[in-house]
Amino acid sequence: MTRRIDLRRVAQYGVVVVVAVTLNFLLPRLMPGNPLALIAGVDVGMLTPDQRAEIVARVGLDAPMWQQYLRYWGDIFTGDFGFSFRSSRPIVDMILERLPWTLLITGLSLLVSAVVGVLLGAISAWRRGTKGDLSMLSGMISIESLPSFWLGMVLVSLFAVQWGLLPSFGAVTPASDLEGWAHVWDIISHAILPVTALSIVGTPGVYMTMRYSMLETLGEDYIRTARAKGAGERRVLFGHVARNTIAPVITVLAIRLGFAFGGTVIIETVFSYPGLGRLVFEAVAGRDYPVMQAAFLVFTAAILVANLAADLLYPLIDPRSRTS
Amino acid sequence: MQRVKRFKWAILLVVLALVVVGCGDDDAEEEPVATTAAEAPATTPAPEPADEEEEPATAPAEEEEEPAPETTTTTAAPPPPPEPVTVRAAITGDEGTLNPYTYISGFPGWNILMLQYDSLMQLDAAGVPQPWLASSVSVSDDLTEWSVTLVEGVTFHDGEPLTSDDVAFSVEFYTTNPEASRFARDFRGVADVVVHDDYSVTFVLESANPGFDVVALADAPIIPRHIWESVDIPSEHDFGGTNIGSGPYILTEIAPDQSYRFAANPNYFRGAPAVDELVLIIFADDAGAQAAIRTGEVDVIFERIPPEQIDLLDAQDPLDVILGPEFATQMINYDASIRPFDDVAVRQAINLAMDRQDIVDTVYLGAATVGSPGWIHPGHSVYNPGIAVDVYDPAAANALLDGAGYADSDGDGVREYDGQPMSFEIITNASDSLRLRIAELTVEMLAAIGIETEVLPVDTAVWENAVWPGFDVNNGRNYQIAMWGWSPPVQADPLRLPWLVHSSLDRGFLNLTGYGNAEMDELSEALAVEPDPAGRKAILGRMQEIIAEDLPFVLLLYPDGAYVYDSSVYADWEFIAGQGIVSKLSLLAPSARP
Repeated sequence: MTRRIDLRRVAQYGVVVVVAVTLNFLLPRLMPGNPLALIAGVDVGMLTPDQRAEIVARVGLDAPMWQQYLRYWGDIFTGDFGFSFRSSRPIVDMILERLPWTLLITGLSLLVSAVVGVLLGAISAWRRGTKGDLSMLSGMISIESLPSFWLGMVLVSLFAVQWGLLPSFGAVTPASDLEGWAHVWDIISHAILPVTALSIVGTPGVYMTMRYSMLETLGEDYIRTARAKGAGERRVLFGHVARNTIAPVITVLAIRLGFAFGGTVIIETVFSYPGLGRLVFEAVAGRDYPVMQAAFLVFTAAILVANLAADLLYPLIDPRSRTS
Repeated sequence: MQRVKRFKWAILLVVLALVVVGCGDDDAEEEPVATTAAEAPATTPAPEPADEEEEPATAPAEEEEEPAPETTTTTAAPPPPPEPVTVRAAITGDEGTLNPYTYISGFPGWNILMLQYDSLMQLDAAGVPQPWLASSVSVSDDLTEWSVTLVEGVTFHDGEPLTSDDVAFSVEFYTTNPEASRFARDFRGVADVVVHDDYSVTFVLESANPGFDVVALADAPIIPRHIWESVDIPSEHDFGGTNIGSGPYILTEIAPDQSYRFAANPNYFRGAPAVDELVLIIFADDAGAQAAIRTGEVDVIFERIPPEQIDLLDAQDPLDVILGPEFATQMINYDASIRPFDDVAVRQAINLAMDRQDIVDTVYLGAATVGSPGWIHPGHSVYNPGIAVDVYDPAAANALLDGAGYADSDGDGVREYDGQPMSFEIITNASDSLRLRIAELTVEMLAAIGIETEVLPVDTAVWENAVWPGFDVNNGRNYQIAMWGWSPPVQADPLRLPWLVHSSLDRGFLNLTGYGNAEMDELSEALAVEPDPAGRKAILGRMQEIIAEDLPFVLLLYPDGAYVYDSSVYADWEFIAGQGIVSKLSLLAPSARP
């Protein structure tokens, strides 16, 4: 029984992968624009037609589309995505350099917004309809509507420019030669503002999911039964409510974790943080096909793995989903 | 229990991320340090007396302060008396690995590249090329043979001598590997490079080129043959260490998307630079760079600052703003090969409708020069003073259109041509907010003469592809009206004017408006073979008259260069006309500058 389901799921994932890879290949090429200036610099317009043709041939853009597509599949299996048009560096290196920074700030902020969102959501639902619940709810809705670049700029101008407490940009102090704990603190102090900004904008989503999911659970008959049996509030909350509430929240968090690999273009830009979001943004702006292809693949893989993890976790948390 | 499980893998992930960051960063630092260490023995023992008999500009006092170990950090507490000067400069974008095949932007990428390399000539503050790696440059009467004598004793960073062999090799390499398009273009038209001996070489050109000194000799970096001769794919080649040039700075560390670190070359042939260490910090946008110079986290911004920031930054205490002419341009392009822009009356009307002073005042807050309809900047040595700059006259524009038969027959406020309304799109790149504002003002100004326009802001690649498809004018054009602008070199060197206006696309390879005029073609060809500077100026004067009359495009203004720096850290910035402050001149001792 379970094995058949697994096979079907594997096939599903396989189809998704093929579609995603094909889109990753096609989307960059469907965008209007030409990567030639990126490959050879703006003076490419002053070259002879022969020289231009030579450049196009050297990067393989003269090959028919289907050949380029097959080459992309080859890249996926060999793990070698070639060189960036823009910076002429190996793409795998470029992604690996930036991924840890992205994971650091998105991971930490995901953790913060998960803890804060779940706690506040639970409190809110527990005290549903009270003044406290309503003001928290409206507060979260307001926060959710804040543009993240604005929030980032406010944090920079207050904590860095105005009060000089924290650095305004980057992941480390450039050319500082710090070592040991000083280096660790340097990384942390640079991460505080971006993580704060990301956590603030990330919390309302978790909060809302938790609150609604819990409200639903609280209305269930078995909760009334538990209470009628004389179970204490604490036992009802953790033993019955939380357990049944958490599944949708896990889904939300898993999806966010998948997207966390994509970094965050806006926050990484505001704080000049050297993450994947910025890399991809620049690649898209300049039609850097190979970088786009490779980076999109990382995002696809991360989202698929996160989904898979959620799928696998679900039965552990919610026994009802084991047999469906 | 469930809760613990829930968070366990989130925690795991963060721990993992921290570990990876920790490791990744160590790698990033270790690699370049190893590079420096490997490089250092090669550079430091290089015999220092060789320099002293060289150029007069060497400052021996400064050479002594460079001790054997190359570590220049605060923790090292160096014994020599003068405190080493470190300048932290902000740039807004990654520049790759900064060799001639991997630097990214024309500005400031090329300028930073040239801190590590030298060209045969170097522009002085007035923008005039002066001998640099060359000790003398002479040209034959027919302008086809350029002979260069090299300064003797110049060495690359690894101690190898720089000779005419490297010069000839550089030309050949750039020509056969055109990915470095700027340098391939520089030497386009070089038929042969004749090496006479180690220190003298002659460039033989296919045809006369009076501007070869500006276009090529003062532009292309000389690369060492011994490093590059085995290179197969230059943009992807792994040199296994730092870039080897002959310039005043050596790149010692790259942190991608974060920073570059340069150490002064103590053996530089014009004397060790005044700034001992240069750190370039990469920002994602100019707002971040401006915040960082306010907090003191950077000491200078290697980008032009926007007009509205000039007074604000200048007012803050240790900060100063330096202003100067840059020959960048803002213009209106239209497709002059299609109706109705093929009618010179329509082009003239658009020219008369543009209130250039208003654009300079409202968009640039005065930090720009009103454009001459004849293309050349009024501050340029070849400007034709007979060209009137302030031509704004909407009444005359309306009269011109009335006279040419573009009436508004249905009374909707929009004129018609060939039975259809004069209604067009102005395409521009959304990322340039100043250009977007000019486009919006243009809509109003053209509405006043009965031409309806709508701004179409698109992303840069889309805009480029509409105006200049595939960067090849042979592909035609795909726009009606476009906001456009050229970088400073296109105007700074007036001999490039034919590129913009010659009707033969082989010569007019920047002719993006489909313009053609027989007299202009003749003048363009005469300009290329005119040996006498006064004669060239006369030809350029006539070309400006034709442009102001014929309007292949409408030139609106020239933005001024404005750069902000912290004067308490370093104040000797040199503004090169047309290039700004980002050059080796700014970082060399004033006595070593040309």
